[in-house]
Amino acid sequence: MTDILKYEARRSATGAVALTVMMGLFVVLILAIYPSVAASGDAITQFIQNLPEQFKASFSFEAYTTVEGFLATEFYQFTWLLLAGLYLIYVAGGTIAGDVESGRIDLLLATPVSRRRVVVEKYLSLFVPIFLLNLVVPLFVYAGLIAIDESVDVTNLLLLHLFSIPYLALTAALGMVLSVLLKRADIAQRGGLALLFFLFIVESVTTNTDFDWIGAISPSRYFDPASILVDGDVDVAGSLILIAAAIALVIISAEIFRNSDV
Amino acid sequence: MAEPVVVTMATIVVDGLTKDFGETRAIDDLHFEVEKGEIFGYLGPNGAGKSTTLRTLMGFIEPTTGDAMVLGHDIRDAADLIEAKADIGYLPGYLSFDDGVTGTDFLEYQAALKGDSRLEEMKDLFHPPLDRKIREYSTGNKQMLGIIQAFMHDPDLLIMDEPTAGLDPLMQERLNNFLRDERDDGKTIVFSSHILGEVRRVCDRVGIIRDGKIVALEDISTLLRKGGKRVRVHTHEPIEKGSLDLPGVIDFEQVGNDTHFTFAGNYNDLLARLGQFDLVDMEIEEPPLEDIFMHFYGGDDD
Repeated sequence: MTDILKYEARRSATGAVALTVMMGLFVVLILAIYPSVAASGDAITQFIQNLPEQFKASFSFEAYTTVEGFLATEFYQFTWLLLAGLYLIYVAGGTIAGDVESGRIDLLLATPVSRRRVVVEKYLSLFVPIFLLNLVVPLFVYAGLIAIDESVDVTNLLLLHLFSIPYLALTAALGMVLSVLLKRADIAQRGGLALLFFLFIVESVTTNTDFDWIGAISPSRYFDPASILVDGDVDVAGSLILIAAAIALVIISAEIFRNSDV
Repeated sequence: MAEPVVVTMATIVVDGLTKDFGETRAIDDLHFEVEKGEIFGYLGPNGAGKSTTLRTLMGFIEPTTGDAMVLGHDIRDAADLIEAKADIGYLPGYLSFDDGVTGTDFLEYQAALKGDSRLEEMKDLFHPPLDRKIREYSTGNKQMLGIIQAFMHDPDLLIMDEPTAGLDPLMQERLNNFLRDERDDGKTIVFSSHILGEVRRVCDRVGIIRDGKIVALEDISTLLRKGGKRVRVHTHEPIEKGSLDLPGVIDFEQVGNDTHFTFAGNYNDLLARLGQFDLVDMEIEEPPLEDIFMHFYGGDDD
């Protein structure tokens, strides 16, 4: 009962590998800058202390001159959170919608498979990029740290990537909903990019303001790479919320798809 | 205790099937049956509702009202219809594949989902370049790949939307022969087309759909008798209009020594009458489908 999953996983492998390598090389480049940041530590610390509170919180600038803080701010808090999330919501947005729009869905649904199974297996195939990113990117990080003769707590690094999985699983599930709802690949994909970016911004600008509660709808509220990497603080409850939301969204996607014309 | 009742149901029973797409009614209160072991031609001009009917039978589209049974399974019940799908081969009217995979990859995927007991046999009959990416396929090659997948799991019922589209004449003939052999082996085939000649060569019975409504359900011989022939004669002297007033002459047109008309009467009478003229040339051919609609099934041409 995993034939659709296997087929889709094979098809998405190339893109997943390309993204993983790109992300890996990017983080190595970022790390290469760190020694010069560390060298001018005092000046930068002073600059950061003058930044608005909210800005500091959003990008976790507090520990910028430590290698953990630098890595969190320059890579995980933005590039990782946003780019990996956008990639998944984009790919997910194209799954069902792409098949419906092109007419490929006819040849799939003509076989004795249920629509629920199609949605679930296509969703599960998105765990290929999710797992690949979280298995390989930390290796690049580790190698980059060795190259600049620095180190971080490996447990925290691994925890960060473990807890990235629920976050990325949720962004993929959001993409699935858009995909079954809009049935046009480009609209579902661009809509997904816009939605996730919007949610990310909402979370960033409302943090530590009176409108803090609005950020509760944003997936990035429930996953904070910086606090894991810098302090080893893991938001287990947040991850459970992300997992529950992802499951709910996949069920909703399947129900929408079961009840719609293709 | 009551005697067990054996109910023999037609392979496809369409009962009042209707589908509205917003404002437009794509198919309107369709009623017809397809019996086991026949080739049913589903004939109509482009846009008449053929694909909508077939896609509704496959469960891709939910009917607005009405229902249909396919191989004894209810198309409105998704779980029930999935059971039937193991025994249905479907060829879409608009074939679309993943461009980036090879024909072999595609068939392996299909085999995993529905089986491939007749795959080798089908690959001998229809042979697209399976080791190449589908991106490189011609329309004809894609159609052959579609035909292979429709039969590869040895289904009892074939639902084929314009199956000869894009095939060269040789392959069309091969497909038509193959379909007749399959019918003789007890398979049921629904075959849509907008070409009368094709339906005439292959089908046993035909349903004609026009503007979403079934306008005729006929044996093929009845249809052809009603449809008549398009006749063109070239004579040495112009034919006077009154001298060809046989029953069954319609659409009489004359330009100089050329005379055209549609004829649905007695051929002996026609030939006897034409014998009175000095003929230079003559053609008798099947009328365009549109003419059949116009003359025999009512309504304005469109």
